[in-house]
Amino acid sequence: MTDWRARLPELRERIRRIERPTAAVHGVLPFGIAAIDQLLPGGGLARGALHEIYGVGGDEEDGALAAAFVAGILGRLTTQKSSAGDGTVLWCLSRPDLYGPGLAAHGLDPARLVLVRAPRDTEILWALEEGLRAPGIAAVVGEVGTLAAVASRRLQLAAERSGITAFLLRRWRDGGQAARERNLPNAAVTRWRIAELPSLPTLGEPGVGHPRWRIELLRCRGGEPVCWEVEEADATGHVSLASALADRPAPPVPAQQFRLVG
Amino acid sequence: MPLADALSFFPGLATAAAEPAEDIAALRRLAEWCGRYSPWTAPDGADGVRVEITGSAHLWGGEPALAADLMARLDRRHLAGRIAIADTLGAAWATARFAEGKSPVILPPGDCGAALAPLPVEALRLDLVTAQGLRRVGLKRVGDLSAMPRDALARRFGQIVTQRLDQAQGDLPEPLSPLGEAPTRRVRLSFAEPVADPADLLLATERLVEDLIPRLAQEGAGARRLDLGFHRVDGRVERIRLGTARPSRDQRHLTALFKERLDTIDPGLGIEDVILAAFMVEPLPPEQIGLAGHAPTNETNSIALLLDRLGNRLGLAALSRLDPRASHIPERASVYVPISVAPAKTGAQRHPAPVPGSLDPRLRGDDEIRPPRPIRLFDPPEPVEAFWLLPDDPPFRFAWRRRRHRVTRADGPERIADEWWRPEGSSAVDAIRDYYRVEDEEGRRFWLFRMGLHGHDHPPRWFVHGVFS
Repeated sequence: MTDWRARLPELRERIRRIERPTAAVHGVLPFGIAAIDQLLPGGGLARGALHEIYGVGGDEEDGALAAAFVAGILGRLTTQKSSAGDGTVLWCLSRPDLYGPGLAAHGLDPARLVLVRAPRDTEILWALEEGLRAPGIAAVVGEVGTLAAVASRRLQLAAERSGITAFLLRRWRDGGQAARERNLPNAAVTRWRIAELPSLPTLGEPGVGHPRWRIELLRCRGGEPVCWEVEEADATGHVSLASALADRPAPPVPAQQFRLVG
Repeated sequence: MPLADALSFFPGLATAAAEPAEDIAALRRLAEWCGRYSPWTAPDGADGVRVEITGSAHLWGGEPALAADLMARLDRRHLAGRIAIADTLGAAWATARFAEGKSPVILPPGDCGAALAPLPVEALRLDLVTAQGLRRVGLKRVGDLSAMPRDALARRFGQIVTQRLDQAQGDLPEPLSPLGEAPTRRVRLSFAEPVADPADLLLATERLVEDLIPRLAQEGAGARRLDLGFHRVDGRVERIRLGTARPSRDQRHLTALFKERLDTIDPGLGIEDVILAAFMVEPLPPEQIGLAGHAPTNETNSIALLLDRLGNRLGLAALSRLDPRASHIPERASVYVPISVAPAKTGAQRHPAPVPGSLDPRLRGDDEIRPPRPIRLFDPPEPVEAFWLLPDDPPFRFAWRRRRHRVTRADGPERIADEWWRPEGSSAVDAIRDYYRVEDEEGRRFWLFRMGLHGHDHPPRWFVHGVFS
């Protein structure tokens, strides 16, 4: 009678493996924030898997928030002792507008990047797949617009095989393309949407406050969709949960109250 | 003779329209094909090919054997040609076109003058007018010219006559510029029978790479640019050109790069020669490449291989690094540098290193307060339509990329003047930029700047330079 009770943890583990094969094989990268990590399967972002990230509104075209979010993750991934090689990151993009000091501010050393410029999405996807086959690469990032389900499946399989983490940063040409592509299914293990929130006024300090983001986990294999509001706390790109989770739009500030610097 | 006249004389005449461009292309292909005898080949005028065989004739068993081989191969392709081998380019040119006797004509070394003497003056590569002028005064043979006083000849007919004479006789050097760049290292493999099987071509490629590596290793060099030429039976040359991001003499690496492109080679009716040439080599100190038979475990090697694969498909220029530079002009502070350029070792600027767990830079108490910088920077900055109230105010509204933004908060200005000490810099008032970090009502943060000041000739203009996260 006690027999099945003893077997229960083992069975649970087996189900867990079936549900999340990648997390079990290659481990996870925790965000370091309990509120986020406890809701992710395995306690963090699965390594050796494909993750999809995009922004909201105009940022779907500019890809600034998505890049910052990925830079923060890569900063932690590449500085970890366990990461393979010297932490080279392959970043494939069609518009070369990534800015080094901005990346550094989010915790990613730009010297670790190898930038691959390719005009077409198909070439970027090809470069990503090549990168996923090269041991020694810590992670690959690709800024793509159109993504066929088959192509995402290939990337996911290549990532699973090599254990290299892949990030797809979706960047669309215009609102029309974004609307068409946004909700198409693909093989990515997680899908994140990062939206900016109006910054909260610091007491006694006019001007732009700390950046606040709404991080939505829209899709997660083996997990539930969740949503957090975070405030960027420091220069390392690590995010912390905002103390006040209520979404209050800041009242518009009259022009004469702008803070002057310098 | 006009075509109509010719046809009236001989009604069955076969005619074809002249295609000079095609002829030149064909001659060029022929010159390229001659690359099997020597790397130094070039088309000569509209009807000849020059081949510099100094130092390569012995590979064929001497000059007569080489000429016989060339003759036989031209015959097989139904090409009529005259072959001459001489000490100088001028003498070979003259003999090939004007000498009596059966081709090939091989002038013995050091005997140019005597062999040229009976040839007509046209053999000196002179233009028609000069040649006619010489004939008019009775100078019909090259030998006649040698007997004349040189200064009188030069005065009457120009420097060109004596110059050509000297060149033909070997008194004046005449370098041959080859068809392309001359390769520095070259290995060749010839087949007894033409081959077309991809497996054989792969084998040949492996053999050639294997041959080239020791040569490179001996001089402590690595290849940067390689050319693998497949010489087909019909005279066409199929090529694979490769570039590597770093000098390399890793056999496995180079073979893999060629192998990937081998399916682009069309062997046609068969391939008789394969030539591998390194066009650019750079010093590469000896290093441990790994034990034979072991897979490369070195991760740096694997990354180098990856970069070369990417570079050979997308172009090496597509691969770059972000390099920090000492400049306070935003777009000059971080630049895209091609990956093939080695990183500067000492004294290089670094991006501000991320400090774990640190506070906002403004609160850290550093001497140097770094204003925030965007994660995406547009180069060139994109003009926007902006509305603002007072001269030093940030805009309260602006339109960019078909979207309108209402500014709710702003930081600034941060004034950045152009670097007037640079040659392209400008100290004009118009070059001053006042940067503002603004936030719109959705919470998006932009880096705007105003160029120019109020009260000057040009009204100030507004640009978006970047987007914050």
